[in-house]
Amino acid sequence: MKFLGFFILVILLVLLANPWLPYWGVMILLGVLSFWKNSSSSISFFAAGLGMGIAWIGVGLFISISTGSDLADNMAEIFGVGSGIAMLVLTGVLGFLLGSFSGLSGSLLRKLIQRERKDIYRGPVSY
Amino acid sequence: MKYFSFFLVLVIVLGLGYLSAIQVGPLPPLGRLLDPHHGFWQNSYSEDELAQEEISIDGLSAPVTVRYDEQLIPHIFAENELDLYRAQGFVTAQHRLWQMEFQVMAAAGRISELVGEVALELDRMNRRKGLGYGSEVGLKFLQENDPETLRFLVAYAEGVNAYIESLDQASLPLEYKILNYKPEPWTPTKSLLLLKYMTDMLVGDRDLEYTNLRKILGEELVNKLFPDYPEEVVPVIESGKTWDFEPLSITRPDSIAYPDTTLLLDPLPQPEEGTGSNNWAVSGWKTKSGHPILANDPHLGLNLPSIWYSLQLSTPEYSVKGASLPGAMGVISGFNEWIAWGVTNATKDARDWYKITFQDDSRSAYRYGQEWREATYRIEEIKIKGVEKPFVDTVIYTHYGPVVYDRSFKAERQDVNFALKWTMHQGSNEQKTFLLLNKSKDHDDYQAALDHFTAPAQNFVFASKSGDIAMRIQGKFPLKWEEQGKYFMNGEDPKMEWTTYIPNEQNPATLNPDRGFVSSANQHPVDSLYPYYVFDHSYEQYRNRRINAQLEVMDQITLEDMKKLQFDDFYLHASESLPIMLELLGEDYQKSEQAKKYLTELKDWDFYADPNQKAPSLFYTWWNQTFGLLWKNLSSSRYPVLLPNTYHTSQLMSKEPDFDFFDHKDTSPKETAADHVKKGFEEMVNQMTKWESEEGDYSWANYKQTSINHLVPQFESFSVKNVYTGGGAGIVNATKSRHGASWRMVVELEEEVQAVGIYPGGQSGNPGSRFYQNFIDKWAKGEYLNFNLRGEQELDSLLFSTQLLPTQ
Repeated sequence: MKFLGFFILVILLVLLANPWLPYWGVMILLGVLSFWKNSSSSISFFAAGLGMGIAWIGVGLFISISTGSDLADNMAEIFGVGSGIAMLVLTGVLGFLLGSFSGLSGSLLRKLIQRERKDIYRGPVSY
Repeated sequence: MKYFSFFLVLVIVLGLGYLSAIQVGPLPPLGRLLDPHHGFWQNSYSEDELAQEEISIDGLSAPVTVRYDEQLIPHIFAENELDLYRAQGFVTAQHRLWQMEFQVMAAAGRISELVGEVALELDRMNRRKGLGYGSEVGLKFLQENDPETLRFLVAYAEGVNAYIESLDQASLPLEYKILNYKPEPWTPTKSLLLLKYMTDMLVGDRDLEYTNLRKILGEELVNKLFPDYPEEVVPVIESGKTWDFEPLSITRPDSIAYPDTTLLLDPLPQPEEGTGSNNWAVSGWKTKSGHPILANDPHLGLNLPSIWYSLQLSTPEYSVKGASLPGAMGVISGFNEWIAWGVTNATKDARDWYKITFQDDSRSAYRYGQEWREATYRIEEIKIKGVEKPFVDTVIYTHYGPVVYDRSFKAERQDVNFALKWTMHQGSNEQKTFLLLNKSKDHDDYQAALDHFTAPAQNFVFASKSGDIAMRIQGKFPLKWEEQGKYFMNGEDPKMEWTTYIPNEQNPATLNPDRGFVSSANQHPVDSLYPYYVFDHSYEQYRNRRINAQLEVMDQITLEDMKKLQFDDFYLHASESLPIMLELLGEDYQKSEQAKKYLTELKDWDFYADPNQKAPSLFYTWWNQTFGLLWKNLSSSRYPVLLPNTYHTSQLMSKEPDFDFFDHKDTSPKETAADHVKKGFEEMVNQMTKWESEEGDYSWANYKQTSINHLVPQFESFSVKNVYTGGGAGIVNATKSRHGASWRMVVELEEEVQAVGIYPGGQSGNPGSRFYQNFIDKWAKGEYLNFNLRGEQELDSLLFSTQLLPTQ
């Protein structure tokens, strides 16, 4: 559940913020989001990565379908990667990489700062 | 450990973010390119999906309405001309910004900035030819002589810049994203540079090759192989016209000392052969409606985005419509409510070369008559992508013009220095001609407009609603003595220099000739009765004769007839040469099954180069093989030379098959034209058999492979390959593999002017738009779009409208 909520939040964030911010602005936001969510490292990594990757694929796919343009296919040919689907996959992979590590860094930073307090919850010290 | 993993991840994040923002090798910044909100995905939208109802633009004095028809052709309605040209700049940039800038960067010799060292030689060549210099002189000319046009150019530039300023990463044209650079502000000089770029595209000279030929063959043989006036000349201005002016006198110097060397220089890049055009107009008495009809189809390189951008420009005083050049103001080939006009290239050896003798190694002075004249320098600094230090090229300017080849550029001989004399380097105002034509009402206005035109010389065809048809060959033509400038000349001798120019009113022109039509197709401008020396190496011998023969017999002409003539595939050259070749071939050929099949196809042929025909491919290949063999003595020369043209070769083959020069000196039997025709036939059979086994179909369209390429050749998927269409070199429908009718227009000057037009491209320069190449199918089939003028209040079949508003 934790993952799903985080994941959906990331998708919404990308869809709302990315039109106004360059990709690196979105990376910073994802870092901040993970810091705030304070989930486990792996949840942060995958929720932010998959969220951004899938949002990017979704937007690319939406643009391609709604415009009917074959630009993605033609771009794929210029970059020697086959078809427009490959362009979409590349977009998704890049989105995943940028999102996942941004998420992970936010989460790790939180853990770094929380270290002292976390020790309190380790239970009674045995003598 | 936690510190370590955090910092490790941080480094990865920063690394990923950074790598996505920079160019890695040939790869553009991937983050910016793939980000679907800003990258290439955003260029998938067509213009109508991004339509805005209102846009504010600085500097407008009143609102301007722009109505886009269903083909995305803008119709701009402005209150005055200043607003009109500002809007033209803005609207054109919206659809063609990248192309506009790229062409101008090429002309300015700045492609190395975009693609690196590979373009350095090209850039140096363009700078050494003095295109940039020419545009600066042009600007100065406007400042001193025509502040009004300059004000319009400034408004146009500000319009372009208003669009550039409105761009963000998402709306940036695609090519900027892929090549990773940003548009620079537009300037009036850039508009002038674009016109110089067109001049350069259309003007060539073969002085180097003729110089070598003269040395290798001697003058007599040169004149036999390259006659200035072949037997059957069908000139632009009707033969037999009497010239009712007193010609200026000019005398050929008694002794001419040519710089007498054979030269190993690389010749300047020449306009592609087949860069030419057709235009004609017919009088009302030859048409069904009783009104004149005018047609124009300029043949240029077939590229995307197309060289032409069509639009209508309207003020309360006039409305003009047709094809414009992105980057230049007004309409270049088009019509208004009263007249129509069109252009074809009127080449006439416009460039000459003078050998310069420098005083010493510093090259600061050169000999001219008895004196030493001072040379000037122009420092060209060429930035190169990926290289820290710019390349610095020093070009020496003499009073003739720039020294293009010298010890630092392209010359294998250290002592060779030639200066280029070219009217393009002299101040001129071609832009004014078009602005005046756009609002011309009659023949007088047209004449006045043409007086401003210097280069590249054009055959301006004209027709008016009042019933006139006319043709004028306009350019600034130096008055030359016989053979002046045909060969390289000695720059030390003042007698070799151009002294004056033919006055505009003595340029060849005709108004309402008896034959009822005027026409031009890059052929000889005039017959031999014209009092001045006329020479060029490339005069057309086929399209002109076909067009005139057709126009002569036609009667009750309609707009449809004229469309058909523009798309006419009759292969006149084949119809004249094939019978000769078949006769020379005789029965004594290699009688394989293949050979018999091909021969039957050739014999059954009606001489039309339609896309589905097979014989044109056979003839074309056979001719080229034979042609190569006939002139092997010349083409095997180690010096750059020229080969005789198709027409003259055909004549010699028929009339003098035993001509000595056809014999290959290095082989013992004496060859005649018949031997070469036979050998050529065998070669053709071999080649076509091979083609059939490898490619299959050898029908004409498939064989000649017309393709329309993006301006960046590497962007192959933005090109349209293998277009199914007929025509070819020397055919009225002059569509070859990479050149052809870049714009076709037919206008009937009725009470309501009727017009059609088409070009092989689309209005949008964006490869992702549905308007990028949507005209090509129609163009390939010889179909047209309606180009009638629109009123501002006509709201039917519009794509969308935009109001350009003055900034509050």
